[in-house]
Amino acid sequence: MDAMLSGLQMALTWHALLAVAVGSVVGVIFGAIPGLTFSMALALLLPFTFGMAATPAIALLMGIYIGGMTGGSVSAILIGIPGTPSAAATVFDGYPMALKGQASVALGGAVIASVFGGMFSLLVMMLLLEQLAGLAIKFGPVEIFALVLFGLSTICGLGERSMARGLVAGVLGLMLVIVGLDPIDGVARLTFGSVDLQQGVNLLVGMIGLFAVPQVISTFLDYGRVEAKSVGTDVRASLPSWRQLKQRLGLMLRCSAIGTAIGAIPGTGGPIAAFLAYDHARRFDPKPEGYGKGELSGVLAPESANNAVTGGTMIPLLSLGIPGDPATAVILGGMILHGLAPGPALFQTDLPAIYAIYIAIVISYIVTLVVQIWGIRWFVKVMSVPAHLMAVVIIVMCVLGSYAIRNSMFDVYLMAIMGLIGYLLQRLRIPVAPVVLGLVLGSTLENQYRTALILNEGSHQGFLDSKVAIGFFALTVLMIGMQLWSSHKKSSAVATA
Amino acid sequence: MRSDRFLGPLLSALSLGWLWLAYFYIPASSTPGEPGPRAFPIVLGCALLLLGLAITVSGFARRGEVAPPKAEAAAKASPLKRELRIVLGTFGLLILYAFLMEKTGFLVSTPIVLALTLAGLLRIRRWTFIALMSGGTTLVCWLVFVVVLRVPLPRGSLWWLI
Repeated sequence: MDAMLSGLQMALTWHALLAVAVGSVVGVIFGAIPGLTFSMALALLLPFTFGMAATPAIALLMGIYIGGMTGGSVSAILIGIPGTPSAAATVFDGYPMALKGQASVALGGAVIASVFGGMFSLLVMMLLLEQLAGLAIKFGPVEIFALVLFGLSTICGLGERSMARGLVAGVLGLMLVIVGLDPIDGVARLTFGSVDLQQGVNLLVGMIGLFAVPQVISTFLDYGRVEAKSVGTDVRASLPSWRQLKQRLGLMLRCSAIGTAIGAIPGTGGPIAAFLAYDHARRFDPKPEGYGKGELSGVLAPESANNAVTGGTMIPLLSLGIPGDPATAVILGGMILHGLAPGPALFQTDLPAIYAIYIAIVISYIVTLVVQIWGIRWFVKVMSVPAHLMAVVIIVMCVLGSYAIRNSMFDVYLMAIMGLIGYLLQRLRIPVAPVVLGLVLGSTLENQYRTALILNEGSHQGFLDSKVAIGFFALTVLMIGMQLWSSHKKSSAVATA
Repeated sequence: MRSDRFLGPLLSALSLGWLWLAYFYIPASSTPGEPGPRAFPIVLGCALLLLGLAITVSGFARRGEVAPPKAEAAAKASPLKRELRIVLGTFGLLILYAFLMEKTGFLVSTPIVLALTLAGLLRIRRWTFIALMSGGTTLVCWLVFVVVLRVPLPRGSLWWLI
């Protein structure tokens, strides 16, 4: 109790409160602008914490992390470009909602789901930190491979009209990941002597090209043929109703649990959690045909999951000193710099600091909620701009966003090529979502598979010895089977009609 | 579906090209017991080949034409010439933007590309509007990215000429 009160005292000083508020706002801004990631904001602001005391410094970093994870949904919903990789799944229904004039409902739903997911994961982290850390650490390459394979099975359901076309798109996404330096052997793969290609296709560059450029082209094609109109006709700053949220409370709880569990496994992260949650929502919804056309659940599910990852990643970070993703690696660096070495000893030596971090997370979510709810009335103004002019501005955002990720002009050329590929895929009726899923999961899938084989001296026995892996393999088979059955039923129904 | 008769062979040809590249340009494993950098690309190439063949077979096996979905319907409604102009024009403008930004910097390249997009691609002829839109967007982006967020944008490599 004394430790908790000390933590409260540390977190409620005006320095710490100001730091967490500033961090949250900076995080939301960096998260909302495509090309500027919160990992970048964390790395940029880390040196500014050198002169600060430990608690405000960690509070600032936590604020950026949480604000950034939440802010990614803003551009995903308003302009169809995910601000962060974790918000990629939010585009599928968030952007169609904006096109239907429900941008504010989508934005409001996203921020409420984000805060819900974040608070849920914080609660789980506080109650089950040690037990979950023990479980998460048991996830080796075999189990992570099996989990990612399960994640890839969602491709079968993302094919909209044709499962084969969905699978083609997934394979194309996985192929894109191959280009570049092989992360295990360090040899160049299909780079044709280009030094720039050695860095591979960056996830955000790929997503900007695949999502935004085809949208810009479609808008230009519509210009002149369709009467000039704004993207959304209704720009009222209304939030989702209590009834809408209450109906989806169970979904948000389940997706938050998915996010917390995925976050606790090092090497996974927000994008995987968001895609799994989106697929879960679509698969278990009695009306799955509404997904991809502007269904609120399609926004709430990925947003609650990707924010629940923030609490999940804190589990291995605080209890074992293992960062789960690049952002938590920077936070770990910041903690070590300020004399807080995460790991089991931290709970003995600096328990008040742990409580101060918990409180900083709560405050950060409150600040993020206030900033985003207040900001909705301004964000939705974007929707009143005529669509063709918005598309012209999006061209600039695409170029700046893809350049800013690695300060590389090569990435801008790559984004343009990805955009052309995205449009061609659309014309061939191949869905883009599985390509992105392949891009997100591809490197983890290959690396974990190969690492598992190296650790098992080339034997596949390890895959059969792990009960967790077998469980995920069984789930994968079940999911594919269910999808095949549902496709068969659909085509039989069409044939009968 | 009739479109499958085109897509299936296209994917099959693409996968054969990919398999050829992977086999001849990616080295095999150097570690015993490890699949190496070539294995995964080969598996993916085979998967795409199988899918391509499956789509080809289903394209020829099915009869009748399914109603075209939204994207295709939109494309059919727009004449091919106009579509080609806009698709290639947008792609060309993105490439030109990257090239110009590298050579002349953000502040010069952005208004040029925006003006070209508005006047060339969208065929807007209100010159004051074009100037205001191009200049205003450039200024706002420069203020947000460079002044506020301190993102280092290209300054151009040709300024030493003057």
